[in-house]
Amino acid sequence: MSLHPLIGLKLSSLELGDVILYFVMFVVLMLLIKHFAWEPINNMLEKRRSQISNDLDNAAASKQKAQTLAQEREDALKNSRSEALEIVSNAKSHGKATQQQMLDEANNEAKVIKTNALQEAKKSKTDALNSAQADIADIAVAISSKLIQKNLTADDQKDLINNYIKGLDD
Amino acid sequence: MGEKPVVVQFMGLNFNLTNIMSGLVVCIMVFLFVYLLARKAQLRPTRKQNVLERVIEFTNSIVKQSIPGEEGKKFYLFSFVLFLFIFFSNQLGLFLEPKFGEYVLIKSPTSSPLITMTLASFVLLMAFYYGIEKQGFGGYLKNYTKPVSFLLPLNIFEEFSNFLTLALRLYGNIYAGEIVLGLIGQLAQSNGALTYVVAMPLTLLWQGFSVFIGAIQAYVFVTLSMVYISHKIEKE
Repeated sequence: MSLHPLIGLKLSSLELGDVILYFVMFVVLMLLIKHFAWEPINNMLEKRRSQISNDLDNAAASKQKAQTLAQEREDALKNSRSEALEIVSNAKSHGKATQQQMLDEANNEAKVIKTNALQEAKKSKTDALNSAQADIADIAVAISSKLIQKNLTADDQKDLINNYIKGLDD
Repeated sequence: MGEKPVVVQFMGLNFNLTNIMSGLVVCIMVFLFVYLLARKAQLRPTRKQNVLERVIEFTNSIVKQSIPGEEGKKFYLFSFVLFLFIFFSNQLGLFLEPKFGEYVLIKSPTSSPLITMTLASFVLLMAFYYGIEKQGFGGYLKNYTKPVSFLLPLNIFEEFSNFLTLALRLYGNIYAGEIVLGLIGQLAQSNGALTYVVAMPLTLLWQGFSVFIGAIQAYVFVTLSMVYISHKIEKE
């Protein structure tokens, strides 16, 4: 067994060339690894990191969008329900109003027709009465002149008949 | 043990070829591991990619524990490479120890104190650099007199102790693991077939334990490195 290397060291036998070469080797190794492995891997890691964070952001945005859309849909649904109710009630009241209007119109028309008919009837009645009055008077004069040989004047007879007819009217 | 490393002299410096080759092997292993897993990075992760991302997450979390927030980001790559480098270094000697005569060609680089000190000094240099960058040279030096000025020698001493504990903890764990593995090997060859049979499961057991220790030590090394760096760049 040799002595412990540290105890056996003399400065002249120190392998300083190794020190220098190891420095060189280590630095070269570091540069090579940096160029061939470190940077590609780290660039890729950075890319992956940014993509993941982008994806997460996008997912959050999409979720937000979907939520607002769902909210909108729900609101629209609620609104459409109340709208439908309103439409139905509008239609009902509108129908009622139309019905009322039609009834009123019909009533008015019926009244007009009734008054017209009444007036006409009255008028034709008076006409008929007037013409009948004259005819009856003549006929009565003729009949009475034939029946009664006595010469009553025509004026006396007319007065008599008119009085009689007035009595009929009352 | 007793296997000699291959040492050559070049331009007045000693080069331990065993350590250098091991380091190269570790570098190649780490690079291939990361490169093959990171190939064709996709937005939708494949199974391979998941493995790598888990490792990255793990080392990033080590940094975040001591240096939270934006400031720690520049240490992510460093801690990632440091962790993998130490982890693979720790495991290398467990399954691969080719020998050429009395020389050992490849072993765990972290079982040599010099290499762990190199790594620790790398961490310390980074701590100094970022400390000065953050607080300026004056502010950085002032940190040595905080919280009270008479603690200055203690703070300076702490710098060395941090460096030594960081380096020697890793070295001690891995070196001890290799020694025990060697001892079990010697035991296997000591008394023929009987000891061989006894040593086999022991070796397996110890290797499994060493994998665990190697992972833990890599984690500890990176964690403490980040703690030291965070001390330097924090304003007190």
